Amino acid sequence: MTPILAASIYWHLPVLLVVVSLVYSATRHDSWPAIRREAVRWGWRMTSFLGGIALVMYLLSLYL
Amino acid sequence: MSHLPSQKLDPFAALLSYLLPGLGQIYQGRRSKGVLFMVSLHVLFFYGMWLGNFRNVYLPHTDTRQNVVFTSTILADVENRLHFAGQFFIGVAAWPALIQYASDPKVDKHPILGTWQRAPRPDELNALQRNGDKRWDLGWVYTVIAGVLNILVIYDALAGPAVRDATSELERKAVAT
Repeated sequence: MTPILAASIYWHLPVLLVVVSLVYSATRHDSWPAIRREAVRWGWRMTSFLGGIALVMYLLSLYL
Repeated sequence: MSHLPSQKLDPFAALLSYLLPGLGQIYQGRRSKGVLFMVSLHVLFFYGMWLGNFRNVYLPHTDTRQNVVFTSTILADVENRLHFAGQFFIGVAAWPALIQYASDPKVDKHPILGTWQRAPRPDELNALQRNGDKRWDLGWVYTVIAGVLNILVIYDALAGPAVRDATSELERKAVAT
């Protein structure tokens, strides 16, 4: 593991993603299968959004 | 959806969920959801505090002369540290900050709480922000998100889930009777 990965504050993000997905989904539904489905959906959405931003910034840092 | 009876508001459960996230749901018999809220939101809140060396939840006494909205009372200080407006909604877990705010600002420690959720001195705050790797800032963001998420939890206790599912409601009623 490179030092930059070892020291990154982004390692703390999974906690936030899991909690936000689960809690938000549980406030939308009462049944566990629906909560799980919604949580996975939101988890993916947020991860893709953040990953997309990270990718754009990485590409910008390569070419600017 | 239209055949479901209208949801009765439950302000007492909402109050319980404010005090301890998920307690209102447990009171209503939605135990597993209540436990999920209680564990998840407290984990997020205290994880955020840990990221900030347990020094990022507080309400300081500030100079309120240039405030735009509030110029006196506690709200003026909240206006100058809006983070606390979010953190407050985690419930009892953020009350030590209010106790610290109400205590003598000239002493360094509260006789019982010590420095727990006490506003850091300016030099201490500078050191926390300058010497860290932004973990202190990330930490307060987590605590604010935990508090804001609890507003959704309070609403869930007050008025039920946003999407009402006939099957789970009937199952719950059958268990209750």
